[in-house]
Amino acid sequence: MLDPIKQNWRVLLLVVVIIAASVALFAPQFAPDTAPGEDPDEARQGLTNLQYGLDLAGGTRIRAPLIGYTATGVEFDGDNPSEVAANVAEQLEGVSAREVNAEELDEQGGEVEVTDPDVTEDEFRSAMDASGYAYNDIRRGVTAETREAAESVIRGTINEAGLSGGSVQQVQSITGEWFMLVEVPGEGRQDVIDLLEDRGTVQIDIGYPDEDAEDGLGVEEEVLVQDDFENIGTASRDENDQPYVPVSVINEAPEGEQSPAHRFQDAVVDRGVASDTGGARCTYMEDPVGETNEPCLLLVVDGEVVNAFGMDDGLAESMVGGTWADSGNFRLTTTSFEDAQQVSINLRAGALPAELDIAGEGTSAFISPTQGENFRFYAMITGVFAIFAVAGMVFLRYREPKVALPMIVTALAEVYALLGFAALVGYPIELAVIAGFIAVVGTGVDDLVIIADEVMSEGEVKSRKVFDSRFRRAFWVIGAAAATTIIAMSPLMVLSLGDLSGFAIFTILGVLIGVLITRPAYGDILRRLLTVR
Amino acid sequence: MRSIEVPEVDYTDYTNRQLVLVPLAVLALALAIIGGWYLMTGAPANLGLEFTGGVEIRLADDGEGDMQERIDAAFEQEPDSVRAIPADDVVVVTFRADPGGEETGDMASDLEDQAEAGGLTIDAVDQVSASFAADTAQTALFGVAIAFLGMSVLVFALFRTFVPSIAVVASAFSDIIIPIAAMNLLGIEMTLGTVAALLMIIGYSVDSDILLNNSVLRRTGDFYESVSRAMRTGVTMTVTSMAAMIVMAIIATLFGIDLLRDIGIILAIGLCADLMNTYLMNVTLLRWYKFEGVSR
Repeated sequence: MLDPIKQNWRVLLLVVVIIAASVALFAPQFAPDTAPGEDPDEARQGLTNLQYGLDLAGGTRIRAPLIGYTATGVEFDGDNPSEVAANVAEQLEGVSAREVNAEELDEQGGEVEVTDPDVTEDEFRSAMDASGYAYNDIRRGVTAETREAAESVIRGTINEAGLSGGSVQQVQSITGEWFMLVEVPGEGRQDVIDLLEDRGTVQIDIGYPDEDAEDGLGVEEEVLVQDDFENIGTASRDENDQPYVPVSVINEAPEGEQSPAHRFQDAVVDRGVASDTGGARCTYMEDPVGETNEPCLLLVVDGEVVNAFGMDDGLAESMVGGTWADSGNFRLTTTSFEDAQQVSINLRAGALPAELDIAGEGTSAFISPTQGENFRFYAMITGVFAIFAVAGMVFLRYREPKVALPMIVTALAEVYALLGFAALVGYPIELAVIAGFIAVVGTGVDDLVIIADEVMSEGEVKSRKVFDSRFRRAFWVIGAAAATTIIAMSPLMVLSLGDLSGFAIFTILGVLIGVLITRPAYGDILRRLLTVR
Repeated sequence: MRSIEVPEVDYTDYTNRQLVLVPLAVLALALAIIGGWYLMTGAPANLGLEFTGGVEIRLADDGEGDMQERIDAAFEQEPDSVRAIPADDVVVVTFRADPGGEETGDMASDLEDQAEAGGLTIDAVDQVSASFAADTAQTALFGVAIAFLGMSVLVFALFRTFVPSIAVVASAFSDIIIPIAAMNLLGIEMTLGTVAALLMIIGYSVDSDILLNNSVLRRTGDFYESVSRAMRTGVTMTVTSMAAMIVMAIIATLFGIDLLRDIGIILAIGLCADLMNTYLMNVTLLRWYKFEGVSR
């Protein structure tokens, strides 16, 4: 009973693998994860559970470093990180303390980074020297902590903008520089860049008449910053069709500290945006200069004033009375609905801790969905023809369907198993992966030729014993060849060379599946067909 | 009808020196071409967009007027190359980054705007910054070097004798060099696809070399018999792969899938070089080793 299984286990293993691959490819349980609210049928692209990469599905890919410089091996001399950051920021003219961060790594100290894109390496170096902290070196890029933060902000931004299927990861180049790799299916290049290029900082400043200021307008900056907001609503329109984002300002604070809402309330009253006589009437947008103007709240996004507004009398009254901070509800009004959407996304996702250098040092690629679909079809045709070419050569060489047909079927089974694997782990199929499949068919057939020639050499295969010894001899060559292919391909798998890691991964996997499963099975099949019983 | 047979070569007619002369001459020529290229252009090969930086735009040809004229009218900057894809209504326009020039800024966005203003439909945009491209070139070179080194170590570990091992390594080296020289002459650019193909050559070319070495060294029997047996299998393997790669290169060219085209062309040339290197250079080294080297 067990004997047939024992004798044919290699073939049985191949059958099991093929069945498993079919399940992974077609069973709905293995369908790609759906984005919230997405129909499962829509997430499946075509008949199978296969997912396609950007070049076969269309979309945008951006690879760019975060701008900044980091001083490594900084000795903090017993200061805490925020003191260190403040001391270094002091040495840099015109740089906000928020653009300098210190990260403690051990007792000695850690790293200090500057994320203001206008600061040059030399400026940062002299600031570090002037601050008096000893450090090892200055490198380009930001700290690991900042990269982590940026990754989650980008992920948040993509999700908040409603772009499903987007992904973000960090990749390191051979020179040690880190890049953020962002992929957004189905979206245009310019749209994605617009979304990521700006850091998305949102803050409220107060502009007030000031005789001493150059143009008669004083600005109290950062009255409210990103972190002071909570319960951020979606962009809406009020009864006068004015777009706005409903938010609330955090009105709780640890003992002994003032909450952002109370601080804001005081500032508004101090600067006269709200007074006993009511709210200020803002004319900033028409005429931002002049000491006679009434004070304004300025909504500043990425350093630019996108809107300025006064305050209605009801709200002003509650500010003066000190009751507003109890709720902290507030509307950020904007001049256009697009601005309101942008502000809402920015507040929800948070600000990027450093700017992405997309134009200067990055790469960006866009493929339209139709072009992607065309590529999918063309690549399939190319693959089919390549396989026909192999099949044709094999038939011409052997002229014996008993030898040639199982050879083609075995090689195709390898590709099928690989497709199943891709569906199982959700690896997106790209052009490079398809090139890998073709390479696998090539090496696969090579090995099958070795097996066939070796087994059929020196006359008839009379017994199982003769067959086995010849098969083993062939297998030494195949194993050695497989090992060299794997070694040759492995650098590509780990080096960041664009899509080529997919090519390497699938070539290596194909060689492994071939050596461990399909090529031994071909041996068994051939034995059954050839041994004289 | 008889099946196709691999022709038998009578190696006894030729001396070692005669046999090894051809592959060595070809290798020397290839090295000279690459060296000359380096002296003339500052790079060993024609570097593609991924290694120089720049912008590549694919424009849909909607059949409304002459694309060349419309492209010239739309873009302020003159494109470095304009190439129509035969089997697809697409024109590929390339703008190179100015080497050593100022940072290009977001060149792709400007070009996208210009194309749209000129009424052209964009199918794909690819922008690589010059500094990123320089990084990529370095990484690619490093990758090929590591792969080659790893392969060499493995081959020496497998055979544990100097001459047969060095024969494999030398033939793999020549298999990589000859396609690079051929690329220069044919005007094919070095891209990431060609780098992948070069690594693939390492894998493919060693197959037939190992087969040959194994047949001669590890099995009993007459030297020439072993060689002809290995050759029958090896040539079948190489020719089969070559057929697949040539077909892939032709069809991918028609459809404008550059990655597959590059891999196909380079592998086809590399496998061709491998036939020569394995059955002229490698066989000769083995013959010398078998008949003269061992007895020393």
